[in-house]
Amino acid sequence: MIKFDSVSKRYADGQEALSDISFELSRGEFAFITGHSGAGKSTLLKLILAMEAPSSGQLIANGVNLKRISASQIAQHRRQIGTVFQDHQLLHDRSVYDNVALPLEICGYQPNDAARRVRAALDKVGLLKKEKSFPEALSGGEQQRVGIARAVVNRPSIILADEPTGNLDPELSAEVMKVFQQFQSVGVCLLVASHDAALIERLNCRTLVLEGGKLLADQKPRPVL
Amino acid sequence: MSATKRRTANSDQARPKRNTRKGQTESFTDLFRLHQRIANASAKRLAQTPASSLITLFVVAVALLLPALLFGLNNNLASLLSSFQDSAQVTVYLQDDVSEIAGQGVSDNLLTRSDIENAYYVSASQALNEFSAASGLEDLLLEMTANPLPGAIVLTPANVSPAAVDDLAAQLRELPEVDVVQVDSLWLQRLAAISNLAGVIGSVLTVIVILGLFFIVGNTIKLAIENRKAEIRVIKLVGGSDMYAARPFLYTGLLYGLGGGILATILQAFVLITFNSNLEVLMQLYDSDFRLRGFGFMSALLIVIVGALIGWSAALMASLRHIRAINP
Ligand SMILES: Nc1ncnc2c1ncn2[C@@H]1O[C@H](COP(=O)(O)OP(=O)(O)OP(=O)(O)O)[C@@H](O)[C@H]1O
Ligand SMILES: [Mg+2]
Repeated sequence: MIKFDSVSKRYADGQEALSDISFELSRGEFAFITGHSGAGKSTLLKLILAMEAPSSGQLIANGVNLKRISASQIAQHRRQIGTVFQDHQLLHDRSVYDNVALPLEICGYQPNDAARRVRAALDKVGLLKKEKSFPEALSGGEQQRVGIARAVVNRPSIILADEPTGNLDPELSAEVMKVFQQFQSVGVCLLVASHDAALIERLNCRTLVLEGGKLLADQKPRPVL
Repeated sequence: MSATKRRTANSDQARPKRNTRKGQTESFTDLFRLHQRIANASAKRLAQTPASSLITLFVVAVALLLPALLFGLNNNLASLLSSFQDSAQVTVYLQDDVSEIAGQGVSDNLLTRSDIENAYYVSASQALNEFSAASGLEDLLLEMTANPLPGAIVLTPANVSPAAVDDLAAQLRELPEVDVVQVDSLWLQRLAAISNLAGVIGSVLTVIVILGLFFIVGNTIKLAIENRKAEIRVIKLVGGSDMYAARPFLYTGLLYGLGGGILATILQAFVLITFNSNLEVLMQLYDSDFRLRGFGFMSALLIVIVGALIGWSAALMASLRHIRAINP
């Protein structure tokens, strides 16, 4: 589903954010990316989302070669990916409902169909009662959950999440992870950037450890006894 | 919550089905409703900045009004011209020594020519009678011993184009009985030249105005995009195409063009009414019932349609260019 083959990313200012990254994620796989601040976690996710282009190496996601992707293919590619952004990226002049409905509207869903899916997604993150609120009137954690609902509403084949639980208490974090695991169980490939060591430890998933742009370790889940 | 969760989890299992529905809009009414919603939102945004929206609207209207007025006036001029041309006359004054019978003969001869529609002879005495009746100087004329007026033939050319009339006049001058040929087509030619010029100026002006409108609308759209950069970035991040992100701005451009066009037709009607009330006084002096004709429903519709088309395409060009430049 996602395949990095000696991928490096050098930003325009010469900053080498990722160097020589190779790993592969298949359908229904759930992996964490962890590492210190500035290790390159967000950059790695941005590459998959075609927000940045790899400087060298091969990167294939969803069967699309992201090194040779055209502008019109990028939109199509992103529709297959649900993304939770570190900085939420919500529309502040639209209600929670409309924010979550955006990916469906872009894909041209029928309003009734869309309403059903939006409510289901909001229910999953426990925000059904807030559908008429505007993002400004929400707490940081609530905004984060709106972003999560928007990422899953379109039933993507890949879910990328950048610190999705950064503003959530352990209980809500666990809820969100349960939602993610539901998607994993139906074949969705998930990649979650986080430095919540306790959470990662508890979930016992594959974990990619980044350090200064290099892939330090690719830890497989511990065998369950 | 858990009940719903189970239901949605179940429907997740049925995912392969989704590909048949995803990305396609179910029906025309849905698409219509979606566009209606976007158009409403665009109109609301325009209403949020009423001053600058109105200024842009007014500039668009005036820009559309200028060539529309010029073309409208020119159409009026052209129809005035053709109404005069239909009654174009050539007066052939005969030599003094041509008798009435000979003059009538010349007139009858001319009638046989294919390039002459109609000709009638006015004898010198007839001319004097008509003149005295029209001028009211009967008494004075009675005292005159000799008739100062020559006999004349008034003829209507078959072909009323200025060149053909000139040609005919030249041939008539060659006739031995003819003294002077008077063609009243010089001022007609001038009018025709003015009309032509107005047409050319109108065309040039139209090109300039269209370019100007593209610039005005394009610039307004550029500013609107600048203000909504964050929103466009988010739309692009979740997979909206440039065209999708451009849609609200296309409606903005369309509304400017449409509104400007409607405003232009209203302004045009005002200009017409003011002009006609002045023209009435002038034309009474000339005993004419000529008025500027209302430029008509069709031409008003044309202004609105042209305005809308320009607004929409200017917005399309500007928004695709500036939206493409926004990289999330
Ligand atoms: N647009 C950019 N231009 C230049 N350098 C950048 C850009 N974005 C990130 N970087 C650099 O790349 C490196 C990796 O950044 P990245 O955002 O991927 O880190 P991160 O692991 O997500 O950190 P955090 O945990 O703080 O979110 C950093 O050193 C950062 O300064
Ligand atoms: Mg980051």
